[in-house]
Amino acid sequence: MKYDVVIIGGGLSALTAGITLASNGKRVCMVAAGQNSLHFSSGSFDFLGYDADGNAVTNPIEAIKTLPTIHPYRIIGEENIGSLVTSAQALLSDAGVETKGEIAQNHYRITPIGTIKPTWLTIEGYATAASLTETRWKKADLINIQGFLDFPIEFLVDNLRDTGTTCTIRNINTEALTQARKSPTEMRATNVAKYLDSKTDLMDFANAINAIDSDAEVVLVPAVLGLNNSAQAEELKALVKKPIEFIATMPPSVSGMRTSTLLKRKFMALGGTILVSDTAVSGVFENNRLVSIATSQLPDEVLRADQFILASGSFLSHGLKSDYEKVYEPVLGVDVEAVANRVEWTKENVYDAQPYMEFGVKTDAQFHALKEGVAIENLYAAGSILCGNNDIKLASKEGVAMLTALQVANIIKEK
Amino acid sequence: MKEQGIQLKNISGNNLEQCLKCSICTVYCPVSAVSPEYPGPKHSGPDQERYRLKDTKFFDETLKMCLNCKRCEVACPSGVRIADIIQSARIEHSKKRPALRDVMLANTDFVGTMANIVAPVVNVTLGLKPVKAVLHGVMGVDKHRTFPAYSSQKFETWYKKFAAAKQDSFKHHVSYFHGCYVNYNYPQLGKDLVKVMNAIGYGVHLLEKEQCCGVALIANGLSKQATRQGNNNMRAIRKSYKEQNRMVLTTSSTCTFTMRDEYKHVLKIENEDVREGISLATRYLYRLVESGKVKLAFRKDFKIRTAYHSACHMEKMGWVVYSTELMKMIPGLELIMLDSQCCGIAGTYGFKKENYERSQKIGAGLFDQIKSLNPDCVSTDCETCKWQIEMSTGYDVINPISILADAIDVEETMRLNNV
Repeated sequence: MKYDVVIIGGGLSALTAGITLASNGKRVCMVAAGQNSLHFSSGSFDFLGYDADGNAVTNPIEAIKTLPTIHPYRIIGEENIGSLVTSAQALLSDAGVETKGEIAQNHYRITPIGTIKPTWLTIEGYATAASLTETRWKKADLINIQGFLDFPIEFLVDNLRDTGTTCTIRNINTEALTQARKSPTEMRATNVAKYLDSKTDLMDFANAINAIDSDAEVVLVPAVLGLNNSAQAEELKALVKKPIEFIATMPPSVSGMRTSTLLKRKFMALGGTILVSDTAVSGVFENNRLVSIATSQLPDEVLRADQFILASGSFLSHGLKSDYEKVYEPVLGVDVEAVANRVEWTKENVYDAQPYMEFGVKTDAQFHALKEGVAIENLYAAGSILCGNNDIKLASKEGVAMLTALQVANIIKEK
Repeated sequence: MKEQGIQLKNISGNNLEQCLKCSICTVYCPVSAVSPEYPGPKHSGPDQERYRLKDTKFFDETLKMCLNCKRCEVACPSGVRIADIIQSARIEHSKKRPALRDVMLANTDFVGTMANIVAPVVNVTLGLKPVKAVLHGVMGVDKHRTFPAYSSQKFETWYKKFAAAKQDSFKHHVSYFHGCYVNYNYPQLGKDLVKVMNAIGYGVHLLEKEQCCGVALIANGLSKQATRQGNNNMRAIRKSYKEQNRMVLTTSSTCTFTMRDEYKHVLKIENEDVREGISLATRYLYRLVESGKVKLAFRKDFKIRTAYHSACHMEKMGWVVYSTELMKMIPGLELIMLDSQCCGIAGTYGFKKENYERSQKIGAGLFDQIKSLNPDCVSTDCETCKWQIEMSTGYDVINPISILADAIDVEETMRLNNV
């Protein structure tokens, strides 16, 4: 099979590049093994939350300068960042992922355990804080769905109290939730969302909230509404008398599944092909070019393309692997930046910056992947697979995923 | 690049140990979404398997609620064969004997043979209210279900009478595993395949003693019988593929998936040597056209707007792309991709009284989407999805091979391929 562009991977980076190229008229095929790590997202898109020294960042663009030159933002180059950010926000909004936030200044998201972190974009309707140390409310009702596993309510109460909000836990139950609770192990955000999907069930849920007698300024509701779009969350807002804000839950998250679904739909609507349930396993190189890749489900078939993008993620998504001797990229065997001595891969204290988090694929200034030190002309790397980005410590995961994908897509578009 | 090192030896049954407990499988489980009594794929699969390995008393009969749609496996980022773990546990530990109803539903070929003989009577009878009431009350076959009509002439009979004689005259040859559905219920699909293959110069032959692939037997707890039939089919397929050098084509995604993957993973039948000899006809045709070995010509007046439904086992095989790319070759065809989700029927599952409501709830989103798109027809590679979608939406559901058979200009295609 022959495409203009073949993308290895199916996450935020792959989808961003895929949508951009497909809307430019390219025939794009994505090879995606299993669902992506967007499902682990908690409702925000980080750009650069902390600088290299671990200080919270107010102006992310400004703070890029503090990053080492190997970091993907530095490779993209300061002059390109602004327009890529605009494209990223437009792409999300165009796919139906409505967010708030702007690049000029980080805002503050509330995590599922009630701590506050700087971020770039947050799903519309999700609660945010006024600063790193203050929430926006004095008194809040915190909705506790009985039996719900992914909402650590005591942590939330304690942490929100430390940042200025006195929460009262309000236990809520409806017929639909009683049904859902028959399967106690499955009381996860996405499953609860399925049980609140009908209009009557949502109405019951709203009525239960309205029945609370309190003088709180706001009702904080776990984010368990709207797997496919934001309409349900909007509807609940209209039905509940008091202002409500959603608190992100532990993964798998409703916002993550929704974002993934909407981006995939957009890509398919533009004519893109996704090979689900398929894994890229090897590639054939000729004269510094990648000619084709093979996949596990199409054993006697090869996927040929003019351009390839490697966006298969980091260790979690098996884009990078390690054994007792080395860290490697398992599909194409491209060069990986990693410390040779295995003892130096990790630090003993789990909260320290872990060296392995910065391991990843080496590229040139245009994100061409290197193989044995030589840039492959038609193979680009994007997203979490790139080296030089500790996305946990820097809070930079989504920004790097989207911006590197857009940068690569723009380079390919010009070909 | 091959995986290397000592970790390669660190393997577990159906990749059990790779489970990170991320729960993404549960997010995409169609049963979990509507039935809280079902503990979900993560819990029923890898979680409980650890206990079951210690003691069989941890086996839980709720596992029979699993549709075996494999969407958990498609969703799993870590390659865990969750549904295989569940199906294997049912085979190994379930103490429940299949009821008469399950035995009947599972024996699609026996029941089919009997029904063909008296098809007009059966078709009328199965539609009668009192009969439906008895089936529902006594047998546990849901009264809302419309039974697929039985044909009065089996595909095999038609083939022997009208097609067999001229097949040897072609230059190239393939075998056809028609499956129970084509044989007893819808011979037209088989005729369509013969029409297309003959037009490009390929003779179509029956296997020596084809039996039901056994998917319904596995689902209904009759794995011993399934293994016997599986071994028989493997013998027939081996003869075709290895001795006669004939690929074995299919028109049912589920039969294909069962023989390629379930035989080995669930029934432990060795099939590695012939696995690549079994292919869905759309895949085989796509590859012939793409490699330039075959050319297709299409009728100028053919026009259709079809919505493609990705059947669960098509999705699992990763072959949706073949059927859709093949259809995209037809100039007069507009293809809309439906959201990939289970229709709820899962073979015999949705026929059972205890599953009917669940089955319809699972498919509800798909039915709504079809109605809102209002296509000329729905297309899919699975026959049981066809029954479910036709019954639940009123839209015709057509196999891509039948669409192709309708769209090609036979004479021109024959000329292009020097037939």
